Formats: sequence, C-alpha cells, structure tokens
Amino acid sequence: MLEVDSVSAGYGALTILRDVSLKVGDGEAVALVGANGAGKTTLVRTVCGLLRARGGHIVKNGTDITTTPAHDLARHGLAVVLENRRLFGELSVRENLVLAETVGRRARGGQMRFTWDEVTALFPVVKERLDSAVELLSGGQQQMVAIARALLLQPDLLIMDEPSTGLAPKVVKDILLVIKALRERGMGLLLIEQNVGIASEITDRGYVMALGSIVHEIGVGEWQSFLKDERLVKAYLG
Amino acid sequence: MTLSLVLQAVFAGVTNGMVYALVGMGLAAIFKGSRVINAMQGEFSVIGAMTTVLLLTKAGWPYPAAIAGGALAGALVGAFIEVAFVRYMAKKNASEDSFLLLTIGLALTLSASILFFVGRDGHLLPPLGGEGVLIVLDAVIQFHALWLIAIGIGATLLLRTFFHRTTVGLSMMAASIDADGAATTGINVARMRTFTFVLGGVLGAAGGILVTPLIGVDYQLGLNLTLKGFAAAVLGGLTNPLGAAVGGLTLGLVESLAIIGISSSYKDVVAFSVLIVIMILMPQGILGRAGRRGG
Repeated sequence: MLEVDSVSAGYGALTILRDVSLKVGDGEAVALVGANGAGKTTLVRTVCGLLRARGGHIVKNGTDITTTPAHDLARHGLAVVLENRRLFGELSVRENLVLAETVGRRARGGQMRFTWDEVTALFPVVKERLDSAVELLSGGQQQMVAIARALLLQPDLLIMDEPSTGLAPKVVKDILLVIKALRERGMGLLLIEQNVGIASEITDRGYVMALGSIVHEIGVGEWQSFLKDERLVKAYLG
Repeated sequence: MTLSLVLQAVFAGVTNGMVYALVGMGLAAIFKGSRVINAMQGEFSVIGAMTTVLLLTKAGWPYPAAIAGGALAGALVGAFIEVAFVRYMAKKNASEDSFLLLTIGLALTLSASILFFVGRDGHLLPPLGGEGVLIVLDAVIQFHALWLIAIGIGATLLLRTFFHRTTVGLSMMAASIDADGAATTGINVARMRTFTFVLGGVLGAAGGILVTPLIGVDYQLGLNLTLKGFAAAVLGGLTNPLGAAVGGLTLGLVESLAIIGISSSYKDVVAFSVLIVIMILMPQGILGRAGRRGG
C-alpha cells in the first residue's frame, strides 16, 4: 500500500534522511519510533509532499507519489495528522471539517469511506463544538478535530505524527480507542510516536529510527520482546 | 456650525470613507489570504482607474465595458505580482518584512511607470448616475456618491459571504492561517494566494474607478490611497475586510468632521491622531478580538 524506498531528504545543505525504506501494507498499523531529532517528522513531511525527496521513491497503491504535491495526496487515499495538528485556529470546527469533506468528496468521486455523520459520531466533542473557533478548544479537542478532518479526506492510510504529545492520559486513551475503531474498519496506519508503549499497544509492527536512518525493525509479535530489551530501547530511544 | 454643514461633512465622510473602505478591504483580503501587507494596494486603484480612463477616452469603449476592463486590469496585475514575485519569495520562506519591501518597491515602480507612459496630468471619469444631486436639509450629495456607497456596501457584504460561505473563500483563509495544514487538507496554497491577489486587485481597482469622478486620478494617487486604506484595514483588525469597511468609514468621517471643525489643512493630522487614540484604546481593532476572524 505505502512503500518508502531508499528515500533521502533534508533542508538546505543539511541531509536529514538517509536511505530510508519502510512499508505499510493494506489495513496494517505500523509504528515509527525514535528519539527527538531522529528524523521522524522529516520523513512524514517527505511522504506527504511538504518536503521534496532528494532521492528514492515513495509509492502508494502502485503509483509513484514521490513528487506529488501535498494538496493532491487525498486522491491517493493518504491523509496526515501533522505534529501540533496544524488546524485553522481562527475558523470554526465546522469550517475546518467542511474544507476536508469537500476535498475528500472530490477525491473519491462521491464514494465516501467516512461520512460526516460517521466522523462526528466518532468524536462527540467535535459534534458539540461545531460552531466554536478551533483556537478556543483544548489540546485534546483540537487533536480530535485534526483526526476528524483527516478522516473526511477519505483516506485508506492515515499518518499520525505524535498524536499523544502534550495530551492528558484520559484524552490519549480516548484517541487510542478511536484509532482502534478505525483499524477495525480496515484503515491503514503509520503512527509516528516517541512513546513506544502507545505504539506497541495499537500497531502490528514497527521501525526504529535514529539519525535519519531506519536502524531496527520490530516484526509482528515482537513488540514485547523489544520493550523488554533495555539495551535496544536505551540505545535507540534514549 | 449648522446642521446642514454637519450633514454635508457626514455625506463627504461616508463617500470618502467608502473609497478607503474598498482599498482597505482589498488590503485586508490580501493580508487575510497571504499574510502579505500590500503596500501597493493604492496602485491597484490607479491601474484600475487609468485603464478605465484610457479604454473610455482612447479606445472608445462604452463606459460599463471600460469599467469592467479597469477591474480586470486590477485583477491581472494582482495575479501577475503573486505569480511573478510573491510565489517565488514564499518558496524561499521570505519574511513578512521582505514582502513589505517588495510591495513598496512595486508601488514606486508602478507609479513611475504610469508617470512615464501616461504622464503627470490628472484624469476624470464621468460620474455614475449622471451629474444629478440629492439635497437633504440643504446638504448636497451627488448621485455618483450614492452609487459609490451602495457599491461599497454591496462589496462588503459580498466579501463577507465569499469568505465564510464559499469553499474558495474558506480555502483562502485556511491557506493563510496554516499553509502546511492547508496543503495536507487538499488545498492548493499557491493557487489560493493568487486568488487572494486577484481579489485585492479587483477591490483596489473598484476603489480607484469609483473615486476618479470625484477627485480625478494621476500617478500620485496610489500612495495616498494606500495610506488611507492601510489605516482603514488596521482600524478594522487587518484580517477582517468587514472591519476595514468600518475602519474606512470611521477614517472618512473623522477627516470630514476635522475639516469643518478645525481646518482642511489639518485634516490628516486630526484624523490620524484620532486613529492613534482608537488603536491605543482598542489594539485589536474597532471590532475587537471577535472581529479579527470575521470577514
């Protein structure tokens, strides 16, 4: 479904990603873990077209999307919840969602994977605050709006960059429940997380990133053994 | 000071204020859609008005067609500036002050170009609605001024509807609030910024075309309109075209009342002093914080 093949990328003279490869299969949930500064967010920005790859290929459902601009990703069934959510704070929740719904409807030719009602049912808080300015919501509520917005783009693969950062444990728990519900509907997931406990709870397998490269793979059923290996965890995650 | 004199000042203030409002709304629309403070907003007015004058007098176009041509010229220049300069600079992550410098440079260039190609003479356009006037309690207002006010109010309402009721308007706001967030929501950020400059160009041109029957247009008009439009936009909160309309009317009225209360020589001093006081008392603009997200 998503294949990142030997991708390198960076900013100016600085190369951040070096020969990064990973795969996310249909309906699979894969984690990308790593310490601060490992290059995880740079990889997200490269995959979703915000940063141009300097080498390698990114393929989604058989189509090379390496040079596809970010605003065309919905047509390839890809949506991303960026770090810090990147919502339109001055606009209302409804306006944030309407924009995504319009794009998603166009991308899918009207065949919606997630209807407005389904998405707002997943997040009752979002439904209650539709006419509030997003900037007036709490961090947890904003995260839910960000996920709802991404779902209305009708993706079959959702990329989430640090969705738990800065949120209260109760809110994180609610968000994880939603992610699990999405997985049951067959949604693919690439989860970027510093918190390996969360990553191990909701993904099938994972990649460990350090200094811009994939340095370790965690196979299906290997999360617990990875977490128990203090040497590995300390070496890669700090 | 008689009632008719005050009423006359109010008529003049509302008329001038609506011109400032149109220029300010264009400036606010561009800032709202791109976070660029456009120091050449008044030049859009000169381009729109001069094009209308030339199409009417030199090319012999009918007046409505010449007006449409003037508005189109504003739109095209707006689009050109975004595509040729702003887009390139945005790719290089130019700062807000770089954009300000760019638009100051473009304003001076356009003004000099108009001086070179059209000359330093002023030009007038025929008033809309003919030469007739309306007399209320001995105060006189031209039919053209009534047209100008009506068009200004219509543009304000249309703009508000456009930004909050259309996908393109919402997308333009989204693109300016968070470009990465907008791009990953499927919004073509560069295209939205171009639309923003087109909109700003049309509004600026409309202001210029409408003010020309009253005061004429020459190559120097742009700077004055930019200053007044900028003041109007800042008064309204800068991101809020509706606020710019309120700001423009406030500015126009304060100016006019300063003329009859003190002297026409000091109208700018009085007007801008009042604006400074307003901004000290209401730093978020006349409409306050809530107004900043309106439009």
